[in-house]
Amino acid sequence: MKVEQLSDGIFEVIIDDRKILSTHNLYPGHSVYGERLMDVDGIEYRQWDPHRSKLGAMVLKGFDIPIEYDSHVLYLGAASGTTVSHVSDILTDGLVYAVEFSPRTMRDLIKLCDQRPNIIPILADANQPRSYAHIVETVDVIFQDVAQPNQAEIAAINSKYFLEDDGHLMLSIKSRSIDTVASPKKVFKDEVKKLEGDFGVEFEVLQRKELDPFHEDHLGVLARMFVDEDEE
Amino acid sequence: MKAVTWFGTLKLSENGDVEECSLLEKDPEQLAQHMLLAVENEELPTHGLDLRELALACGFVELDEDYDVLLREICIKAAKRQISMTDTDDKRIIQAVEAMDDVDKAANELSERLTEWYGVYFPELELTAESMARFVARFGSRENVPEDHNMFSKASSSMGAELSLVDEDLLRNFATNLCGIYDTRKNLEQYIMANMGAVAPNLTNIAGAPLGARLISLAGGLKKLAAFPSSTVQVIGANNALFKHLRSRAPSPKHGVIFNHPFIKGAPWWQRGKIARALAAKISLAVRMDAYGGKLDPSIKVNLERKVESIRKAHPEPPKKQSTKVTQPGPGRAGGRPAKKRGGQKKGGMNKGSKNTNDRSGGRPA
Repeated sequence: MKVEQLSDGIFEVIIDDRKILSTHNLYPGHSVYGERLMDVDGIEYRQWDPHRSKLGAMVLKGFDIPIEYDSHVLYLGAASGTTVSHVSDILTDGLVYAVEFSPRTMRDLIKLCDQRPNIIPILADANQPRSYAHIVETVDVIFQDVAQPNQAEIAAINSKYFLEDDGHLMLSIKSRSIDTVASPKKVFKDEVKKLEGDFGVEFEVLQRKELDPFHEDHLGVLARMFVDEDEE
Repeated sequence: MKAVTWFGTLKLSENGDVEECSLLEKDPEQLAQHMLLAVENEELPTHGLDLRELALACGFVELDEDYDVLLREICIKAAKRQISMTDTDDKRIIQAVEAMDDVDKAANELSERLTEWYGVYFPELELTAESMARFVARFGSRENVPEDHNMFSKASSSMGAELSLVDEDLLRNFATNLCGIYDTRKNLEQYIMANMGAVAPNLTNIAGAPLGARLISLAGGLKKLAAFPSSTVQVIGANNALFKHLRSRAPSPKHGVIFNHPFIKGAPWWQRGKIARALAAKISLAVRMDAYGGKLDPSIKVNLERKVESIRKAHPEPPKKQSTKVTQPGPGRAGGRPAKKRGGQKKGGMNKGSKNTNDRSGGRPA
């Protein structure tokens, strides 16, 4: 077995010519959602299923993941923590603020937080960044996977509140949750355009790619917040 | 500028420096409580602050790590508290409705098995479902049916096979458990009946307890149902038909679960859509009163009855089938919906031949 590093904390374990996306398990011996654990030279790796994680799919689609081992990340739409657990693996010296709105999935997320020291759970509505503005500090990266009709707006207002100058925003846009009928291509175009300038924050879109075959009708976007210095 | 943060209230100068800070005590319980209450506070920061820097500057914590450890502990405490507060009356109704669906599914499956199995030994027994389960639980083998029972003659002349003692025990036990499931269903039904009046008095008055509970369950809560437009209330529960309508040319569904209301169910087909619209409008009104603290208002029901009556009077006869422009008469479908010809549709790659039939049948809500 061989291991290749893709970026900070993200690896590909190579077994019999098959490359398996994985992260270095922060809580060895425990699997979070039934994923495979692999031991390579005494270090335990946890398989990262790109079909269950938008971020995982974005890694394999060649995005330059801006999350470093000491980043502070705001994760919107944490759900039960499938992806959050991998972000937590990457952030050996960082912190992830995991915002989730549904109390039911928050129950699962809290179990995860109890095991891992670098996840901070917040039960709140990502539409209302003000309701957690007394908790979340300025962060380096915002990752968003909320599947809401006003996704671009949510991303923009949260960036305005919490993202540091030149910080990165990663989001996965689900066309079905914006318009069930319209063609995904058109929805993506409109959403990215909205994101780039409709909400008083400007972004420079660095990369955009559809996440098929891992997720149908999803677009991954990596953007950098643009600070207009003349205005300041 | 004043800013409430999780560790205290700060007064900041124009350029973001701390002028004054009143810190909270470093007691996790109190901090968690404060964190939850602060959500209502008007003085939450209007833009993001570098809270970590500020906490260090105020001397609330000395090290980065202390900040992480304390904040994590408090957030977990706060989230746990929020979760324990989510058990509300309407959520209990939702659980009961969903439990009832599960119980129905299980009861159907088990009773089919019992019919199948016990039928080997007593095929003439013409009981089904609950009455059958009660019969088997009571008597077991047909030889135990007493002379004064109305099944006695059938039981004694049955062509069924002999039932051994071991099998009898097993079947009787199985039937007893099934009876228990039927009892549970009744309990759940009673629970919904007894509690809907308190959770949503107006909704219950108009829609009845079972339908009202079903609507709350489909919406995911009383407040959510109240936030729906009544056009959504009208078709909620007819998801497949609705999406087929939106995606292709299938007809729109006239009603979702509200079909189960006697006003619609009892109406002839040409009035149903109109009544469904009126009913949905009144349900919306009623739910909004319930969700925002209103008391029972009988006038909603009176108005609804009046409206339904006027619909009945205005449309006593079915509309003439050929009255709309029909390019070709429908292929003998009951209900008289004009057949959809889609000559110009061929180039639209989305919908092709075989799907077409699905669309049309799907236009009718289940």
